[in-house]
Amino acid sequence: MSRVETRPPQGHIEVRNFALSYETIEGPVEAVSRTDIHVKPGEFVSIVGPSGCGKSTLLNAVAGFLKPTTGAVSVDGEQVRGPSAERGMVFQQYSLFPWKTVRENVEFGLKMRGMPRAQRERAARTLLGLAGLEAFEKHYPERLSGGMKQRVGIVRALATGPKVLLLDEPFGALDAQTRVIMQQILTNLWQRLKISVLFVTHDIDEAIFLSDRVYCMTARPGSIKAEIPIPLERPRQQAMMMSSEFLALRRGLMALIREESLKAMGGEITDLGMQGLTIDLHGHSLAEIL
Amino acid sequence: MSSPAILRQQEPAALVDIAAADAQPAAETPPAERRPNFASLATRWFRLNRERLRAVAIGALSLIAFLVVWHLLTKYRVVFFVRFTNVPSPLAVYDSFARAIHDPKFLTHIVLSCRRILIGFSLAAVVGVPLGLVMGRFKVIDEIVFPVAEVLRPIPAIAWVPMAIMLWPTNEQSIVFITFLGSFFPILVNTLHGMSLVDPVLVRAAQCLGARERSIFREVYFPASLPHIFTGLTIGMGVAWVSLIAAEMISGQYGIGYFTWEAYSLVQYADIALGMITIGVLGLGSSLLIRGAGQLVMPWRPR
Repeated sequence: MSRVETRPPQGHIEVRNFALSYETIEGPVEAVSRTDIHVKPGEFVSIVGPSGCGKSTLLNAVAGFLKPTTGAVSVDGEQVRGPSAERGMVFQQYSLFPWKTVRENVEFGLKMRGMPRAQRERAARTLLGLAGLEAFEKHYPERLSGGMKQRVGIVRALATGPKVLLLDEPFGALDAQTRVIMQQILTNLWQRLKISVLFVTHDIDEAIFLSDRVYCMTARPGSIKAEIPIPLERPRQQAMMMSSEFLALRRGLMALIREESLKAMGGEITDLGMQGLTIDLHGHSLAEIL
Repeated sequence: MSSPAILRQQEPAALVDIAAADAQPAAETPPAERRPNFASLATRWFRLNRERLRAVAIGALSLIAFLVVWHLLTKYRVVFFVRFTNVPSPLAVYDSFARAIHDPKFLTHIVLSCRRILIGFSLAAVVGVPLGLVMGRFKVIDEIVFPVAEVLRPIPAIAWVPMAIMLWPTNEQSIVFITFLGSFFPILVNTLHGMSLVDPVLVRAAQCLGARERSIFREVYFPASLPHIFTGLTIGMGVAWVSLIAAEMISGQYGIGYFTWEAYSLVQYADIALGMITIGVLGLGSSLLIRGAGQLVMPWRPR
């Protein structure tokens, strides 16, 4: 652990002039267009946007699973060419190995690196302790609750001491209470490890509560619509979500996303309030009229 | 027993603040219970296992009923579409069983059949599983092997008997070959199916943790396919017995299938039933063995 904590700040993610399109029979379809983002060493950055806007695509490109059609992704000046243990990833569906115990899951990255068994066992125990999971090291993932599974997922991604942590809607499948707890655990780990985080979510509150900076993406093909710094001071408490500062940020982001969500839904519905609309049935049933 | 209830209890304490959790190392443990006496332990065991006991009791009753019906049908030599005139009674079969277990020849039949199964089935597993894994991973190999396999697969192992006799110098080898063929295709097809269902996100997760091709194969593809591999092995074992018995009846000199057929030729009707029941018991035993092996190899799977 000490190695992880004392290393110089690194993990500078740079996505430059990024675009990604898929080939289909009708020609290429653009998923993400003209995007530039960056994450400074030790920074917590979120990407929010309407569903299908390509935010996960962008994250997968940073992870190295997808190659950009144009532009480049680099970490600390080195171009990303494929997945690597330098960029830890946490998935929405937990993606723990069902055939490995909690500890074996956490050990996996260290095993791949060739660390001797005794040493990696010790390291895994320390990490599990950090996430309050030491009592469950011998359990198989199936027996854990969603929140516990995702804690294992995060710890597993951190075990190899990656430069950056990428999270793809990690708390999307959790209930509201667990989600808040998980957000605080993540914040804690992030502050301790001083790691760069790129976090994809569609939850605006979550993005504001966690991040130093939030990128808001446009509807498909996604590009950066706005970049919003979050000046809320740390450590952040849940009560902060009621502060006027937080609510102002929330209102701003909501308006941005709403505009894009409407576009994503087809664009015709411009007046979602439907103020002008009155339905007068004049005594007829709806079925008759239709 | 760490029931879900205990798991859930831990959740609220779930590290809202890591520092706080570091300070309180020991989680509260349930107060040590007083040692229960034997009677209360027995009642509790009974309550927990009531469902299973019920199943065992009903199963035993159903077997007894089967024997009774069999006994009555043969005792009164019922002729109603099917004729039970020459069918041996359960008692006659038991007598012949009591005689047979002291007969080294009968035991030789069983041992030989088991050996053929062991060799044929093991070969099928040793070839079928790796081939399925490799076919599932590398498209080219799948494209080469799949068409041939698809043409050969529908041919029942019994139809291979004449060809097997031509192919192999000894009878023994051709019988093992037929057993092999019978179990090979179910094993191959199920392994392939298991490979096609491997969650790609798990592969990605492994890649993110620094796993290379070989490790991913060993640590992700293989264990992820294991449940289907074992389905294939179970089915393969069943088909292996079917093929073996058929082959022994046609071309064998020894083996439990040959024993059953010989009994018919020699008009020893009780031995026919004895042979059949022996085949049933051996088949059941071997599939139980595979299921046990599956549970050993896949401890993460719920029983």
